[in-house]
Amino acid sequence: MGMSMAPLIVPIAIVSAIGAALAASLVFAERVITNYGDVVLDINNGDKKITIRGGGSLLETLTTQKIFIPSACGGRGTCGYCKVRVLEGAGQLLPTEEPYMDDKERALGIRLSCQVKLRNDLKIEIPTELLTIKEYRCTCDEIIDCTYDIKQFKLKFLDGQQINYTPGQYVQVLAPLYEKSNEEVYRAYSISSDPEDKSAIELIVRRVPDGICTTYLFDYLKQGDSVKINGPYGQFYLRDTSAPIIFIAGGSGIAPIKCIVHHMKNTGNTRKSIFFFGVRTTADLFLDKEMTQFAADLPHFRFVPVVSQPESETDWKGTTGRVTDVAEAYLNEQKDASDYEGYLCGSPGMIESSISVLTRFNIPEDRIYYDKFS
Amino acid sequence: MKKSPQEQKLERLLRSSKFSACGFLGTDKRNLWEIIDADAAEIAKAGKTMEEVAARLQEITDIGKAGLGDWVAAGHGLQVSVDDNRGMVPCPWPHRARCLKRITTVKHFRTNTEIRWSDLNIHLIKEHGFFEGRGASFRIEPLVLLSVIFPEE
Repeated sequence: MGMSMAPLIVPIAIVSAIGAALAASLVFAERVITNYGDVVLDINNGDKKITIRGGGSLLETLTTQKIFIPSACGGRGTCGYCKVRVLEGAGQLLPTEEPYMDDKERALGIRLSCQVKLRNDLKIEIPTELLTIKEYRCTCDEIIDCTYDIKQFKLKFLDGQQINYTPGQYVQVLAPLYEKSNEEVYRAYSISSDPEDKSAIELIVRRVPDGICTTYLFDYLKQGDSVKINGPYGQFYLRDTSAPIIFIAGGSGIAPIKCIVHHMKNTGNTRKSIFFFGVRTTADLFLDKEMTQFAADLPHFRFVPVVSQPESETDWKGTTGRVTDVAEAYLNEQKDASDYEGYLCGSPGMIESSISVLTRFNIPEDRIYYDKFS
Repeated sequence: MKKSPQEQKLERLLRSSKFSACGFLGTDKRNLWEIIDADAAEIAKAGKTMEEVAARLQEITDIGKAGLGDWVAAGHGLQVSVDDNRGMVPCPWPHRARCLKRITTVKHFRTNTEIRWSDLNIHLIKEHGFFEGRGASFRIEPLVLLSVIFPEE
């Protein structure tokens, strides 16, 4: 047996040696040939210049510099959120970026920062509000079951940190490595808490079946655990006008609107406003006591919970129907609904349907506000 | 049968939690091609094609979309509810397909059967003949699916 194996050992050893040599040359190439040296990253026409070691993606480089660009896929090029304008130095648009760009964005030089590699000096332009985004370390202070598939998480900031945000904005929560996920991902959730409390935020989250981040939040995160977030982000906030307001939300979409209504109460806002909150069954209703209290505190604010398919065994006496139909009936009763501002939060289908209702009443699209998460 | 490096990479990806918390193969010990072949045989034995199955799933989802999360009658004793979540999920196969995170739930009242699928399931069945592995959250048993979506046959 030993004799018959001998002729095999030599070729195996040779192949192994060749393999090892190839591996070593790859490591060498990685270190020497693809060593881009230091590159200069110029942000917003010289407002900020950073000299860093080249080779990494623009997104990860910015993150290491504590500049947080919204991204929900952890830099895999699948969410399309991390767009920045590259003025110089990024080369051609990659096939992986193509599906996420329209013609206007292509013409402007918009790129997915997770796909752009820093191989040479780069000039980029990012919205100034993104420069104020910070990373926060928090502890999970409280978890409340709102319904069978919605929870509220209170995250308290550590190290004396405080967050400044505009009511209606959202943060990104980091789902770390855990039993069911072998990579870190960020997901966006709107802040629902009273903006006067700068020491903590509350998030209202609905479970997405098999979702990486919601599975972590619902099944793994415990009170006292540490949580990393960054933010704030988003253009969904109450505009400073005197126009009457129609809020339409479904399910966990109540979160940013609750925050805005807190703000209206804190600032003694007297604008005429009505909030249609749509759910399917009475088991999906939550926060109704808090919202009813807001309606008592704010004389011109009305809260209308709408249940579309109440269970037969309940004695639901409130408004029944589809939330968009109920909102439409309300607008129909107004002499002129065109001066309203619309604030929407919910599923993409609900938002699409609400926009269609509001525009039918001549509310212009530029006065209909919602966050595009998809 | 030996698997190509691309097939090995795909299977690794499907077993990982890169796109969904439980992966696409669940606890199924069979390899990807065994799963696909076994499910394809069941569909063929029932006299259907993957395209027909996917088209029917899409048809039911489209009926349900109008309900904005409510239950809607979809004919043949079926009730459908479509629930969409923010964001997109990419197909794990090496191409650029992405689907909305939309979930369709169908109840067949006569047989008291409930089944759900995502937009990604429709794509995976249509393009790759893949119903996911046993134990995966969105595994669809082909024969159960056929009995629900083609109830009169």
